[in-house]
Amino acid sequence: MSLPQSLRASVSPPELELIASQQLIEIVPLISMEKTAFISGAYGPLRPPNKARVPLWMAVNLKMKKKCHIVAPSWLNVEYLQEHLALELSQQTFSSLPFRFTEIAKVILDVASDDLENPDKIRSLMKDLREARQAKSREGLKTLDHSELSLPNLCSMEINEIRPYFVQSMSILTQLVRDPLRNA
Amino acid sequence: MDFDYFSIEAILAENQKIQCTFKHDIPGMGHLGGGSERDIAMLSKIQIPIWLAYTIIYSDWAEFNIPAPFSSRVRNALKAEACSVRLSNLVGAGGLWYGFGKTIMDIVSDEQANEMSDMLSKAFRDRLLEVVDQAQHFAALGQAGAGSSGNTAQAFREGLDTTERERKSSLHHKNCKIPLEQVQVFYLAQESARRMKRWNEDSDRTRH
Repeated sequence: MSLPQSLRASVSPPELELIASQQLIEIVPLISMEKTAFISGAYGPLRPPNKARVPLWMAVNLKMKKKCHIVAPSWLNVEYLQEHLALELSQQTFSSLPFRFTEIAKVILDVASDDLENPDKIRSLMKDLREARQAKSREGLKTLDHSELSLPNLCSMEINEIRPYFVQSMSILTQLVRDPLRNA
Repeated sequence: MDFDYFSIEAILAENQKIQCTFKHDIPGMGHLGGGSERDIAMLSKIQIPIWLAYTIIYSDWAEFNIPAPFSSRVRNALKAEACSVRLSNLVGAGGLWYGFGKTIMDIVSDEQANEMSDMLSKAFRDRLLEVVDQAQHFAALGQAGAGSSGNTAQAFREGLDTTERERKSSLHHKNCKIPLEQVQVFYLAQESARRMKRWNEDSDRTRH
């Protein structure tokens, strides 16, 4: 393959961000626009002050030109995240969050922190969440099995982060474990 | 660590020598031992690379003992604390402890092989967490900080098998003490953590 080594192991975080940018999000437009066809579909019409659902990339684009306000998704607020952080710290399992929450939260925090309530608090909660969940996937390494790995509620960014070395470790374990059925 | 025909690691792992005790006189093969004798005498002990030993052992011309890197002494040390054993010190250049173990595992009897498999996979599992922790620690430090760190951590890193740390690494040198296999894991984890860090810190949206 002609891809550089760093891109072979797994998808890169910016690529995941790009994928997450396809998701629809609510905005309050400040300009009006007819229904417009894009490659991924037709979005609009934008009629201020009515809310509209557009893909995240479009919301970001409009926001950068100061032509809309982004309405934060229902999970991107202090109460919700705090609740989940508490769950995360009290339970063994991963709490269920939207699959691409890391990417979406980061994009919104980057471009539209003025549309959020208390963005600094959200930022620090996101960090705490990430650390709590990372500690759990670290625990998971201890019990790594050669043949299977189940990742309930792990989000895309986390899966992507652990993928290269989990896969490599599992493939080594497959070599080292002699009879896969013996310990079963 | 794969046992692909083209895998350099597999070739290196197979190049390890094991001590064989011959059961028969074999005339004209004295050069295998590297000495000047013409014949191999019965009960003589000769170091033979493992790729050659396969055939000799299967044909029942010789028998061998489990080599020192997998002796009960090492086994007990691993049992006591897997992270403090310098695995790649045990085997020669390249430091493919797991790979070597795997090749031995393929020759010995079922019972011994199961025992070895347990030892190898347990050692790998026990060390894995430390490997990944360190990799992430180093990714967080960035390139600059990689040189200076606590002595225990450094000693462990140097003792990784090459499977645990990638071979072409900057940290790797001739006296590397980490088995090759785990070196790869080390680098994958480090690279992954680094990418996440870069993405998390980069909030410049003007490029869009």
